[in-house]
Amino acid sequence: MFISFVTIKGGKNVEKRETMWEAYLRRGFSRRTFLKGCVALTSLMGLSTDMLDKVVEAAETKPLPVVIWMHGHECTGCDESFIRSASPLASDLVLTNIALEYDHLLSAACGEPFEQHLEETVKKYYGQYILAVEGAVSTTNNGTYCMSGGKPFVDNLQHVAKGAAAIIAYGSCAAYGGIQAAKPNPTGSAGISHYVGTKQVINVPGCPPIPEVMTGVVMHVALFGKLPTLDSDGRPRQFYGNRIHDTCYRRPFFDAGMFADHFDDAGAKAGWCLYKLGCRGPETYNSCGNLRWWQGMSYPIQSGAPCIGCANANFWDSGACFSERLPKYGPLPDVDIIGAGLAAASVVGVAAHGALSVVQRHERDKAEAKENEGKEQVAGK
Amino acid sequence: MKHIVVDPVTRIEGHLRVEASIDEGSGKVQDSLSSGTAWRGLELIMNDRDPRDAWAYIQRICGVCTTAHALASVRAVEDALGIKIPKNANYIRNIMAASLTVQDHIVHFYHLHALDWVSPVAALSANPEATAALQNQVLATYQVPLRGPVALETEAFAKELPRATPSYFKGIQDRVKKIVDSGQLGIFAAQWWDHPDYNLLPPEVHLMAVAHYVEMLDKQRELVTPHVVFGGKNPHPHYLVGGMPCSISQDDGNSPVNTARLAIVDRAINLGRTLVNQYYLPDLLAIGGIYAKAGRVDGGGLAKERVLGFGQYPLDTYNTTSDGSFFSSLLIRCNGVVENFAAGADKAKFTELKGEDLANPDVFGESVGHAWYEYESRDGDDKAIHPYDGQTKPKYTGPKVGTPTDWKELDEKGKYSWLKTPLWHGKMCEVGPLARYIIIYTRAKQNLLPDMTWAEKMMVDQVDAVSRVLNIPPHVWLPTMLGRTAARALDCQLNAEIERFFFEKLINNLKTGDMQVANMDKWEPSTWPKKAKGVGLYEAPRGALSHWVNIEGGRVSNYQCIVPTTWNACPRDDKAGHGAYEKAMIDTQVKIPEKPLELVKVIRSFDPCMACATHLYNTKGETIRIVTTDPYSGGQTVEA
Repeated sequence: MFISFVTIKGGKNVEKRETMWEAYLRRGFSRRTFLKGCVALTSLMGLSTDMLDKVVEAAETKPLPVVIWMHGHECTGCDESFIRSASPLASDLVLTNIALEYDHLLSAACGEPFEQHLEETVKKYYGQYILAVEGAVSTTNNGTYCMSGGKPFVDNLQHVAKGAAAIIAYGSCAAYGGIQAAKPNPTGSAGISHYVGTKQVINVPGCPPIPEVMTGVVMHVALFGKLPTLDSDGRPRQFYGNRIHDTCYRRPFFDAGMFADHFDDAGAKAGWCLYKLGCRGPETYNSCGNLRWWQGMSYPIQSGAPCIGCANANFWDSGACFSERLPKYGPLPDVDIIGAGLAAASVVGVAAHGALSVVQRHERDKAEAKENEGKEQVAGK
Repeated sequence: MKHIVVDPVTRIEGHLRVEASIDEGSGKVQDSLSSGTAWRGLELIMNDRDPRDAWAYIQRICGVCTTAHALASVRAVEDALGIKIPKNANYIRNIMAASLTVQDHIVHFYHLHALDWVSPVAALSANPEATAALQNQVLATYQVPLRGPVALETEAFAKELPRATPSYFKGIQDRVKKIVDSGQLGIFAAQWWDHPDYNLLPPEVHLMAVAHYVEMLDKQRELVTPHVVFGGKNPHPHYLVGGMPCSISQDDGNSPVNTARLAIVDRAINLGRTLVNQYYLPDLLAIGGIYAKAGRVDGGGLAKERVLGFGQYPLDTYNTTSDGSFFSSLLIRCNGVVENFAAGADKAKFTELKGEDLANPDVFGESVGHAWYEYESRDGDDKAIHPYDGQTKPKYTGPKVGTPTDWKELDEKGKYSWLKTPLWHGKMCEVGPLARYIIIYTRAKQNLLPDMTWAEKMMVDQVDAVSRVLNIPPHVWLPTMLGRTAARALDCQLNAEIERFFFEKLINNLKTGDMQVANMDKWEPSTWPKKAKGVGLYEAPRGALSHWVNIEGGRVSNYQCIVPTTWNACPRDDKAGHGAYEKAMIDTQVKIPEKPLELVKVIRSFDPCMACATHLYNTKGETIRIVTTDPYSGGQTVEA
């Protein structure tokens, strides 16, 4: 049922592109360096070490992916997050692991020659390139609120999307519309999925997403030539399979009923649970709790700030101040229905793939509830 | 006459288009136009939000100068509600602001600006041995040995020094060669690498700079770790109205901030100091020296005539901004305007910016004569309106040549940008690190800066040191393209010291037992006045930033920002003339109109941030279009 392992196929008449191993050879790296890179990637992608052989095999035989990165209504925070990645490092990524042929932030060229290069890249690698999109699509007034190269972004996007092998929606703007789509959405902004035809979109939400999540998605495609397994919302399961609440290092305090009641009170100083300060961890699927930011250094909750749920669709219009609990979920005893309730709300409209996911989440939440009550131990997946 | 268009301008934040008419014989730019080509309407989205959340929404204006808008926002709300933040919160905010400046400037120089100066293709003909020798020579020659007044030194010796061995440079060169030979240039594709400007520098400088480009791409992430410790992440760390959310405890391993966490911040601060002093400044001075020697002191434009600053880094906590106490507590008192600096620091005219100026509609306002908005006031679009009373109705008029969805040439006589035109006393101003240095240098030289702080003294010493290296007086080299880029490097060095300075103040305050990071006295809306308004000021990496908030009945009733890139990239005003980008282009010589590298170089010397600059103002009673989209219709919209 999951949209998994969509193979990216190369056309017959396309020139051969080099593999990651060939790129390492070309750049004069040793086999040892190459293998070290593979080990880092294996752990980065959350794979167990017995998968190392497969990673090495993939890196040896799969061609380097061509990436075209487009900007709609955005703040460039996703670009910035992307280059904050520690594994792989940004330089290794853009100079060795992918061919980043078009990106407004890093590309040397500009203006007409740059737009021509985009055209040539689209033609040369038609059907093969990865399209990464940062930012929302604005359609009001024929898209003239977001112009690039003298043309509406929505037109440029539709043109480039046609030849894409896979499309990555980086950040909550590209995935769901983001901040500019918040009420009253004056520019008619929305996520990109409605504007790229029937193409599968990999949603990588977050404002911005965690750096290693962003690069991890590209690396997965680079190594395996396949999209990572996605959930019903098009999100890679390996990065969005858990609620922050499930993986939060403060979860034991929640379970023990130890809360910060106000900012900077004794509970806040001691690092207790931020649930009462509006933390959206219980309804947010993201890797903040397990990967964290800066390779385990922190995430908002660890720094004393309640999660604002930035990887959720429409989190800007949740209807409550970020430091208040969402009103519809009520006070503390109802906490265990929050995740399932939100999951159900978020899949309206994508019911075909959504049903199973909701069931799955429901199962998980039920299991969790049981665990809390101490009735029985439920084996993890 | 040749009309040229560059769209998109890349290696910037957001969507920018420039056009210029160039006399092909002389290479002189006769007229130019700068257009912000997108707007997102964020200020309208602010309406009716809880002011305690405003920082989170408005921070999303920009992810490059992330933190800048959050900081200006909490300051504006605290000004409106009369909230005084604890000392620790002020120090932590200052450390975060300074670390943003250090990281942002390094990313700008190496990753957004460097490829206008250096070329990976030119690096191929470098001699690796000569490059290693050059690296050592650069490190020995181009230093600005200035430090802040810090007693707390925690680093044994400078780590991360540039490598200066032939084999290292040979390795970099081999990699670049193989990339170029492969024909798949990636981010290096399609640039005007044959432009004569790249011949100004010897191949060894190109190779050294390309090596540092790659190294800094990996290092920059470590410079913003203070954001990750104090704000949980970067981009877009978390803030709190009334202070900071990162509570401090010396007794809890689980606490957001404790000794171990502070040690992480300390390491990042040391790294920033090393990178700016061992890489950024020496590289900048080596390259800038060659440009200065070649007589390249153009591109100043408006900087010669008028620059504006708001001042930065409150030393300790202050009452409010509107009552002027913000200005009287600053580490760097660049609050004001300097006019006519090109005539010399002694002849320039300084006007101080005071608390009472902020709400005065004669001092600050924005016009929309050439912006895609219309004013409903009877004075028309050219009459500037103060941000507290801001109003806007979008009025998209399309281009002069082409169609609304396929532009050929924009209409310089009509409306042509989504940026408004901010004015100070009806006049255009340039903002940014260059403005800060011009203002402090002028004030100091005219004895208008009593009891100079260490930071102000350091700024003057930095300018004098660079003047000696370039062998040109400040009023000649500062207001230029080169000076704009050099001032940013000096600002980076200064901010690395400021991080240390406030880190030490934080530690010393914690020693007294004061652990408070948030003042929650006025957290509950029931404690707020029914109506309030406030302003938040901050010298962002790109210059003077101001947020203006009106609060009514516990909700935001009007939210406005005047942003550095709006000051610099704005369209012309019929009375005040061209904005800073346009003036700088007009002040730039272009060798090959079809390859206007000089123009994009001068534009990038401002470090454009377009998402910051474009915004929609609140129009009370405006009908909002309801847009429904059919997912299968390929993007058509139906308006209800």
